[in-house]
Amino acid sequence: MSTDDAWRPRLAARARLKFDPVAKQELILFPEAALALNETGAAIVRLCDGARSISEIVDLLSKNYGNAGREALMREVMDFLDTIRARGLLQ
Amino acid sequence: MNAPLRPYTLVAELTYRCPLRCVYCSNPVDFHRSRTELSTGDWRRVFSEAAELGVVQLHLSGGEPVLRDDLVELIQHARGCDLYTNLITGGTLLDEDRLRRFREAGLDHIQLSIQGAARESAEMIAGVRSHRKKLEIALLIRETGFPLTLNVVIHRLNIGEIPELIAIALELGANRLELANTQFYAWAAENRRALMPTRAQYDRAEEIALEAIAKHRGTLEIAFVQNDYLSGEPKPCMGGWGRSYMCINPTGQVMPCHAASVIPGLRFASVRDSALGEIWRDSPAMNAFRGDGWMMEPCRSCARKEIDFGGCRCQAFMLAGNAAEADPICRLSPHHAIVESMREDSGSDDPLIYRDAKTSRRLAPGPALVS
Repeated sequence: MSTDDAWRPRLAARARLKFDPVAKQELILFPEAALALNETGAAIVRLCDGARSISEIVDLLSKNYGNAGREALMREVMDFLDTIRARGLLQ
Repeated sequence: MNAPLRPYTLVAELTYRCPLRCVYCSNPVDFHRSRTELSTGDWRRVFSEAAELGVVQLHLSGGEPVLRDDLVELIQHARGCDLYTNLITGGTLLDEDRLRRFREAGLDHIQLSIQGAARESAEMIAGVRSHRKKLEIALLIRETGFPLTLNVVIHRLNIGEIPELIAIALELGANRLELANTQFYAWAAENRRALMPTRAQYDRAEEIALEAIAKHRGTLEIAFVQNDYLSGEPKPCMGGWGRSYMCINPTGQVMPCHAASVIPGLRFASVRDSALGEIWRDSPAMNAFRGDGWMMEPCRSCARKEIDFGGCRCQAFMLAGNAAEADPICRLSPHHAIVESMREDSGSDDPLIYRDAKTSRRLAPGPALVS
């Protein structure tokens, strides 16, 4: 798990975010494929600007997803970021 | 009622012209007959229509797409349609100025081919002097800020070079390395005996590649595209015929994959005559093998029919004589023996057949195709 607070995640240079008007969802586009994001995933990726730490991202998210509890949200965010980092889509 | 099929990926083969003469080229052997390329305006309209249909990935391919004088304009238009735009190139015609203009036009990614790790063997495959220039261009691509995929078609003559190819990809700072075992269509089928690796070569290469995939995860993504003759696994035909992918050739014909013109009797509609959406939905060729109504036994009752779709339709035609048969790669195919004999048939003293217009005219004579 990425407990590293020095990490300021952002989309890898080869990836970009696109709203898909056909399926009405956000996609991460990269050379070989596209990854469809649910609403939470899209909200997380939009906050990954290379400047915010994971704690800061969680702080911002918890304003909208307050009832989940900060710790659960932290775990969810880190799991999600690890998954897409493993696919080389985050740096 | 199923949801309507949606194309996600469009391969735009902008031209069949190419300065390289690679012996494994996937362009049709009779490419010399396709002379009248789509205009800039045709392609612009096609990209707009593709984006409306749901396409998100655009691969600008060829031939050598850099030979198109209008490439900057086409890239600009594709990005204007918000397509993820990838240039598939041999690299020999690129320079710093061109790369900068592609970057400014919004190109997302470049896939560069090299033919091997060593100059001599690489150029024997490409048929022209090109290896050093390609490595210089790879560096320039990275310096210009593009993400880079290095693609190497693997075969009997370079399959021992995988460790060196990985070292080159790491040194160049490539994001991805495709070790793409030769698929035996078009020019590669003409050179099959020369290009088919031995069982021992293939197994060793796969072992090295799998180890490297794990070792470099996070730094360099490595893909090992199988040789289906040796893996024994039927390929899931483009994720299903006419399901998510289409290819448009230089003259404007719309095909479910770039090899499909080998299947006789398929009628391909052209974007010169009809809107892309209409062709995608209704053209006879796009519908020829959609769903499973066309399947014969053993595919029809097979538990894997939604996984591999009976394998490759083109290969079924080439090896079994009927595109609706099971792909003979499958051990359940009544024609599987032919694959067993072809996979043993590795190595040849016959001269390599190079892909160029002169050889195309010799192997597949015929008048220019009008589309």
